[in-house]
Amino acid sequence: MGAVRFYIALWSAKLIQLAIKILGKNGTYFPGKAAIKLCPDFLGRIGRPRTVIGVTGTNGKTTVCNMTADLLDAMGEDVLSNRAGSNINAGVATALIEGSSLTGKSKKKIAVLEIDERSARLIYPYFKPDYILCTNLFRDSMRRNAHSEYIASVLTEYIPKTSKLILNADDLISSAIAPDNERVYFGMERLECESEARENIVRDISVCPECGRTLTFDFRRYHHIGRARCECGFASKTPDYLALSADFENMKLKVSERGELREYSLITDTIFNIYNELAAITILRELGKTTEEIEKALKNTKVVQSRFLEESKNGKTVTMLMAKGLNAVACSRGFDYISRESGKKIVALMYDDIFDEKNTSENIAWIYDVDYEFLNTDDLVQVIPCGVRAADGKMRLLIAGVPEEKITPVRCEAEVADTIRYTEADRIFLLYDVYRHNIATKVRAEVMKKIEGLA
Amino acid sequence: MQIEILYPEICNLFGDSGNMRYLRQCLPEAEFTATKLCDEPLFVKETPNFIYMGSMTEKSQGRVIERLMPYRERIDELIDGGTCFLFTGNSMEVLGESIKSNDDMLEGLGILKIRAKRDMKNRLNSLFLGKFEKMDIVGFHSRFSTADSEERGFAEVIRGCGTNADSKTEGVRKNNFFGTYLLGPILVLNPDFTRYLLELIGAEGKIAFEETARQAFKLRLAEFKDMKRHLD
Repeated sequence: MGAVRFYIALWSAKLIQLAIKILGKNGTYFPGKAAIKLCPDFLGRIGRPRTVIGVTGTNGKTTVCNMTADLLDAMGEDVLSNRAGSNINAGVATALIEGSSLTGKSKKKIAVLEIDERSARLIYPYFKPDYILCTNLFRDSMRRNAHSEYIASVLTEYIPKTSKLILNADDLISSAIAPDNERVYFGMERLECESEARENIVRDISVCPECGRTLTFDFRRYHHIGRARCECGFASKTPDYLALSADFENMKLKVSERGELREYSLITDTIFNIYNELAAITILRELGKTTEEIEKALKNTKVVQSRFLEESKNGKTVTMLMAKGLNAVACSRGFDYISRESGKKIVALMYDDIFDEKNTSENIAWIYDVDYEFLNTDDLVQVIPCGVRAADGKMRLLIAGVPEEKITPVRCEAEVADTIRYTEADRIFLLYDVYRHNIATKVRAEVMKKIEGLA
Repeated sequence: MQIEILYPEICNLFGDSGNMRYLRQCLPEAEFTATKLCDEPLFVKETPNFIYMGSMTEKSQGRVIERLMPYRERIDELIDGGTCFLFTGNSMEVLGESIKSNDDMLEGLGILKIRAKRDMKNRLNSLFLGKFEKMDIVGFHSRFSTADSEERGFAEVIRGCGTNADSKTEGVRKNNFFGTYLLGPILVLNPDFTRYLLELIGAEGKIAFEETARQAFKLRLAEFKDMKRHLD
């Protein structure tokens, strides 16, 4: 009976997939959703590639997943991935349906799948990746994720015992998940270019999980990421893959792999993405790829810059910076970046939750976990909180110490281009939530038009 | 004026630390003491004007109960004596009788007659609109627990969830102890309540950035009262 149900689900999903293609619609999870509805254990029945890598974590999982799949592609592997789709159970099922034959056998040998942390309980009981890479765990949307300790407990409960884990040794929270599983750690030494981290509001672990004493951080990169220890003996894990240095002039990354020195091309110049590249290198090395194979693939790979876009005209540079709204750490990283850039700056903030603004009222508590204080610098000339929550944004900026005369709240993004005091600044930053990409793109076009008119 | 913040290194989830950041702006002359988990609380030997504790993880609740247990009688004495407390999110549960989860029972300080129940499989997310002393109160809930309470409630429920699903009140008020499941920057969100609290501790006058705070409050209140908008 189970087999019959599975085939009905598979063929129905394939028909839906075909219909979606013919109609030219986006249905990144619908076929999988239908399949799971018809056959609840569908993920356990569909054929799986010989090797499956799951990528999870709060921040960076999309980048790591795409980078790993791209590098494998460049090595000539035929990779199954959900890079264009959803990362929940239905999205994973949709990718597997896409990569399977009419009998449900996988047509691919390897899969790299992004997996949402909260979907662990819906995916792992049926579908067991050979490797699970966890980039990091930070506090995220309080409604969905509660807090990082909770997400770590969910992962520990549901991660299959057979999965080998690839973990970030510099993150005391994610490095401790599923303690009985086989594991490999990656980490990064303090780089020459790195100054001491500023105090962040959010530090998701500050006391020893063993004894409750205050942890001593020998080096803190940002938030709780770094190297810490406790007098009881508890300490950060020792990385098997340790990035020793990053040479930004020649774009080279030196990595000690269990004591052996290797060199790779660096394909990014941000610390966050070096972690992502290092995570991708670690998983590829664990798959048995040689340094030479990885290096050759890296030379033909770029980090997809969908979250960062910069353009200059008439002496003004406009930078678009996307971050997950409701995610205090992602937004704080953006504020930290802006504060370290030189020049007179104007910042527009477009973080209102697009779904809440029409039907409910957004829970704005998360903005008090964001380091708005980083924006309070002498070279900030104007900051524009946008949207229905503009007054909340203004309140947060005032509490952060930003002088009132620098704050210009606007109720709608369409007003941003007319509000910017162009003559006072040479850098304009447009910060926006993932779901406001189209709106922010329009704002950018209007701002560029205004700048062209300044000549 | 002395303000004590209890265990801010762990009791800081969900934007709750915004309350104390705002209070510092409202009371620039006050002395703020951040008591760490390994420190003896200020209230043991002195009597602060105001004591604050914010939301924490479920595991941290056990740690906090352990640290506060030796001072149980002193906390009771301070509450009876009228010291002003504000405990937000799940922090008031530590002063209750017990916190029950599916596989565990944590004994609280037993100062408040409340018994909390955790359900880690279901998170309650909701907006809240209530009344406290004729003042409108707005806020947010995001929690795994509810509680049975024999204490006087903090606010009357107008919309949203109370202390438990059937409760007509939210939180606990005992003398000048205010405990609420509302999380995040409730002092920033509720200018009338903040002014009330400041007057209670003898700091009369304007609250910080009052005009902007009231503007944001007015807008939020209208949204919370709009029955076409859902609360969860």
